[in-house]
Amino acid sequence: MSGAPISPIRQPLVTGSKTYHQITEDLCGPTEKAPSKAWVIAFLISVAFLSLGIACILWTIWKGIGSWNLNRTIGWGWDITNFVWWIGIGHAGTLISAILLLFRQKWRTGVNRAAEAMTIFAVLCAALFPGIHVGRMWVVYFFFPYPNTRGPLWPNFNSPLLWDLFAISTYFTISLLFWYTGLVPDFATVRDRAKGFRRKLYNLLSFGWTGSAKHWQRWESLSLVLAGIATPLVLSVHTIVSFDFATSVIPGWHTTIFPPYFVAGAIFSGFAMVQTLMLITRKVLNLQDYITLEHIESMNKVILLTGTIVGVAYLTELFIAWYSGYVYEQFAFFNRAFGPYWWAYFGMMSCNLLIPQVFWWKKYRRSIVITFAMSIFVNIGMWFERFVIIATTLARDYLPSSWSWYVPTFVEVGIFLGTLGIFFTLYLIFTRVAPVVAIAEIKHILKSSGDQYASGHAEKHRTGQSLVVEDHHH
Amino acid sequence: MNREFVFTGRERTFCFVLMGIGVLSMVLCFFGDDELQTRFWSNFLHNSVFFTGIAFMALFLYSAFITGWSGWHIVFKRVWEGIYLFLPVGLILMLIIAAGLWLDFHHLYEWNDTSALNPDKLHDQIILGKTGFLNKFWFTGGTILFVGIWYFIATRLRGLSVAEDNEERDPNFSKHRKMRIWAAAILPIGGFTSAFLIWQWVMSVDSAWYSTMFAWYAAASWLVSMLCLTAIFTAYLKGRGYLEQVSHEHLHDMGKYIFAFSIFWTYLWFSQFMLIWYANVGEETIYFRERMDSYPILFWANLAVNFALPFLVLMRNSTKRKYGSLLFIASVVFIGHWMDFFLMIKPGVRKTAEHLTHAAGDAHHGAASFMSGFTIPGFIDIGTMLGFLGLFIFVVFSNMSRASLYPANDPYLAESIHHHV
Amino acid sequence: MSKEVLYGLYNDEEDLLHAVHAAHDAHLDIMDVYTPFPVHGLDDAMGLDESRLHIGGFIFGALGLLTAFLGMTWIFTADWPVIYGGKPYWSVPAFIPITFELTVLFAGIGMTVTFYIICGMGPGVINKTLDDRITDDKFCIAFDTHDFEETGLDKIKEFFSSTGASEVNIKTL
Repeated sequence: MSGAPISPIRQPLVTGSKTYHQITEDLCGPTEKAPSKAWVIAFLISVAFLSLGIACILWTIWKGIGSWNLNRTIGWGWDITNFVWWIGIGHAGTLISAILLLFRQKWRTGVNRAAEAMTIFAVLCAALFPGIHVGRMWVVYFFFPYPNTRGPLWPNFNSPLLWDLFAISTYFTISLLFWYTGLVPDFATVRDRAKGFRRKLYNLLSFGWTGSAKHWQRWESLSLVLAGIATPLVLSVHTIVSFDFATSVIPGWHTTIFPPYFVAGAIFSGFAMVQTLMLITRKVLNLQDYITLEHIESMNKVILLTGTIVGVAYLTELFIAWYSGYVYEQFAFFNRAFGPYWWAYFGMMSCNLLIPQVFWWKKYRRSIVITFAMSIFVNIGMWFERFVIIATTLARDYLPSSWSWYVPTFVEVGIFLGTLGIFFTLYLIFTRVAPVVAIAEIKHILKSSGDQYASGHAEKHRTGQSLVVEDHHH
Repeated sequence: MNREFVFTGRERTFCFVLMGIGVLSMVLCFFGDDELQTRFWSNFLHNSVFFTGIAFMALFLYSAFITGWSGWHIVFKRVWEGIYLFLPVGLILMLIIAAGLWLDFHHLYEWNDTSALNPDKLHDQIILGKTGFLNKFWFTGGTILFVGIWYFIATRLRGLSVAEDNEERDPNFSKHRKMRIWAAAILPIGGFTSAFLIWQWVMSVDSAWYSTMFAWYAAASWLVSMLCLTAIFTAYLKGRGYLEQVSHEHLHDMGKYIFAFSIFWTYLWFSQFMLIWYANVGEETIYFRERMDSYPILFWANLAVNFALPFLVLMRNSTKRKYGSLLFIASVVFIGHWMDFFLMIKPGVRKTAEHLTHAAGDAHHGAASFMSGFTIPGFIDIGTMLGFLGLFIFVVFSNMSRASLYPANDPYLAESIHHHV
Repeated sequence: MSKEVLYGLYNDEEDLLHAVHAAHDAHLDIMDVYTPFPVHGLDDAMGLDESRLHIGGFIFGALGLLTAFLGMTWIFTADWPVIYGGKPYWSVPAFIPITFELTVLFAGIGMTVTFYIICGMGPGVINKTLDDRITDDKFCIAFDTHDFEETGLDKIKEFFSSTGASEVNIKTL
C-alpha cells in the first residue's frame, strides 16, 4: 500500500533502509549458510532433552501410569498441567497470525512466521499428554468416532475430554495449513536461489508457486478466511480446555469465567514464549532490522494487557467465592493461598499479576534484558497457575478423608523436559529449513513501514505540509 | 465542509418528543403499578444501566483504540467523545437508584430490605451473607467514586483531543502522548470498576445467584449496543452533510466490529449457559430455568436477534458496505441488547417483589404467569426506553456540538481519511 | 503444450502498476503478471474477477456443521443412546463445541485443498517459472506471443521500453 498515507506518529517496522533484494538476502541467508556453533550446541542440548523424554515415555508405556505419582484424588498432576501449559503457549502463533491480521497490525509480519511455527510445535507437545496419560496408549484410537467392531462403540460426545480431541486436532490442522500457506511463497523464494539437492527439496516444499497475480489474489483470500476462522478457533480451543475443568462441580473448577480467562492466560504465556524465542533468534540470526524494538514493545503491551485480564479474573474468582456464600468454594481459595501448595500460589500471583506490571514503564518495555527475564517469569507463573488449578484443588476437595498429596516422579519431570526438547529441536530445525520471518509479507509492508519511507512521511510533516489531503474518494 | 455540528431545533424537538413519550409512559406506569412500583423502577434501573454502560464502553473502546495505535477511526472519533460524555447524566440516573436504597422508594434489591430477610430461611441466609458488599453504602459509594473516575478520565481525554485541534500542530504530538497515558490507565481501571458496578447494579438483582462470567457478559452486551449506536449516529450525521470523510470503508469496519463482537457476546453467553447447564447445580441453574420457563420468548429471541441475525447477515462484505443493511442490523441488534438487559434485570426484580408482597406465595412451582412489562416488554416499557433514548441523544448531540467534528490535528487523520479495507 | 512468452521485468511495483494500466489502455492482452509479493491494486488493474474461494469455504464449513451435528444427533438418539451424567439424549449444548470445531476443520481443509487444486499447485508440482528473480525483487508482465502473431511483437517491445521495464526476454514454457 505505497499510496496510502501513514501517520508520522508511527515508528518504522523495518529498519536499515532495505531493498527488496536485501530482504531476500537477509531472510534466506540463515537457511543457506552452515549452522553456527551456537545452533549446533543448542541442537545437541535439545536432542538430549528429547531423548530423555522419549526414554521416560517408553518407561511409562512399559511400566504403566504407576510410574507416575498420580493417586486418588489427585488424578491429574504434571501431565495435565503440562498439557494445558503447552496448549496455552501455542495460542500466540494463531493470535499473531490471525487476530492481528484482522486488526491490520502491520508489526505482526516480523514475528508471525516463527510464532506460527511455535504454535505447531507447542500443540504437538501438548497433544502428547492426552495420548500417553491414558494408560493403554496402544488403543488411544478408541477416542476417534469411526465405525468399529466394538458395538459399534462411540466415544462420549458429551465429554469435554472428547471435545478436546476435536479441538486440538482441528487447531493443529488449521494452524499447519495457515502456516504452510504463508510459507509456500517464501519457499519459492528460497527455491529460486537454490541449486542441486536444495533446489529439489524446495521444489517439493514450494508446491510449484509461480507468483502469478491470480494466485496471489487467491492466496490473500485464503489467508484472510483462514485468519477469520482461526480467530474463533483459537478462542474455542482454550475455551474447550477450560471446559475440562469448568464443567465439573469441583469448587475452584466450576466457575463460568474460565473460558475467556483461560484464553487470556494462553495468549499471555504464548506471547511470553514468542518473546523468549524472538529475542534469541534475532540476535543469533542478525534479524534486528526485522524484529525491531517496536515489535518487542508491542508484544510486551499484549503481555501487559492479557496479564491484567488474568489478574482481573483472579480477583473476580476470589471475590465471587466469598460472594457466593458457598463454603466449599471459599475453602478452595483459602486452601490455594494457605494450604500445602501455598508456594505455587505465591509463584503464580507474583509472576502473573505483580511482575508484569513493570511493563507500564516504556523504558522496561523496550529493554531486552527485562523482556527476556519477564518472558521466563511469565511462563513459570502460568505453569504454576495450571498447577494451582489442578493439583492444589484436587488435593483438597469436598471430603477431608480423601485429601491427598502429590509430587511428580522423575519420569514425569523427564517427560516435561522431553517436551521442551521436542519443542526446541523442532524450532531449531525450522530455523534451518524455512525463513524465520515472512519474506513476502515484509516486502509487502516495506513501502509503508520501512524506515526510509516512514521517515519521509515524518519529514513531510515537519516541513509543515498539511496532513489534510484534498479529497479524492476511492 | 461541514465540520461544526449544529444541534438544530428540529433535532431538539425530536429528542423532546421522545422524552415526552418517556415521561408519559413513566407516569402511566407509576400510577398503574403495584404498591412497590416494581415495573416503574425496574424500567428506570434497566434503562439507566443500559445507557450508562453504553457511555462507559464508548470511553473504553476509544481508549483501547488509542493504546492500540488505531488510525482508521479518527474521522468519527468525535461521535465516541459525544457518547462517553453522557457519563455524568448516567451517574445522576444511577444516583437516583442509589437514593432509593436510602429512602426506600423502590424495592429492586432484595438485599436492601434486610428487615424482610429471615435468617432461618436458607435463601435469605445466603443474601444476608452478601450484605458486606451488597449494601447501600457500597452501592452509592462505588457508583459515585467509579463513575466519577470514569468521567474524570473522560474529561481529560476530551480536553486533550479538542486542545490538540485548537493549538499549533505539534511535531512531537505531546497531547496525543498524554492521551495515550490516560487511555492506558482507564483500561485496567475500567476493567476492575465496571465489574464491581455490574455486580452491584445488575447481578445483585438475582441476589442469591452468582456467576464469575457475568460482568464480562454484560460488558460485551454494552459494547455491541455502543457499536450499533455509533453506526447509527455516524450514518445520521453523514445524512445531514457532516462527517464527509466517513466512507463505505469505515462503515465496513464498523460492520466488522458489530459482527465480531456479536459473536464474542454469543461466546460469552454460551460459556455461561453451557457451564451452568452442564454442572446442573440447582443454585445456579435456577437462573436459566426461570428464564426458559417463564420468559421463553425473550430468552430465545435474545439468541436469535443478537447472534443468528448479525452472524448470518453481516458475514458478507456487501451487507457491511451498504447503509441500508448495516443500519437495519445495527438498529435491530441495539434493541436486541436492550432486551438482553431486560432479561438480566426483570425476572429477579419480579421475584423480589413477589417475595416482599408474598404475592405468589413462598413456594415457586412451575412457570410464572404472564405479566406485561416483565414477560415481554409492553408499550409502557418501550415508551420509557424511548424517553431515555431521547435523553441520551439529546446529551450526545449537545456534546458533539461543542467541538468540531473534524479532528484537524490528529496524527492519524490522513490515514483515516484514506482508509481502505 | 508449450508456450512462447515475451516478458518484461520491472524493478518496482509502482512501475508495474503503471505498466499494467498502460497495457490496458493500449488494449494489449496480458497473459499474466508475476510478483514477489501481493501488490495492492493489481487485481483491479488487471481486471481480475474476485476470487470465489470464500464461497467454497462457506460451503465446506456448512458441510462440517451438518456432519457434526446430525452425526452426533443420530448417534446419541438413534444408534446408541446412553444417559451420560443425567443429560438428555439430544444434549444440544454439549454438541456445540464439536460442531463448531468440525465446521472450522472442514472449511479450512476444504478451502486450502481447493486453493492448491485450482492454482495447479501441490507437493512436488513443478511449474516452470520465467525468471528466478521474480520471487526475489523483480516484477514481471508476460505476454503470450501466440496472441500477437499477426500484429507482431514490436508493439509489445515498445510498450516495455516506454513503461520502464529493466529487461525484456523471450522464453518457451
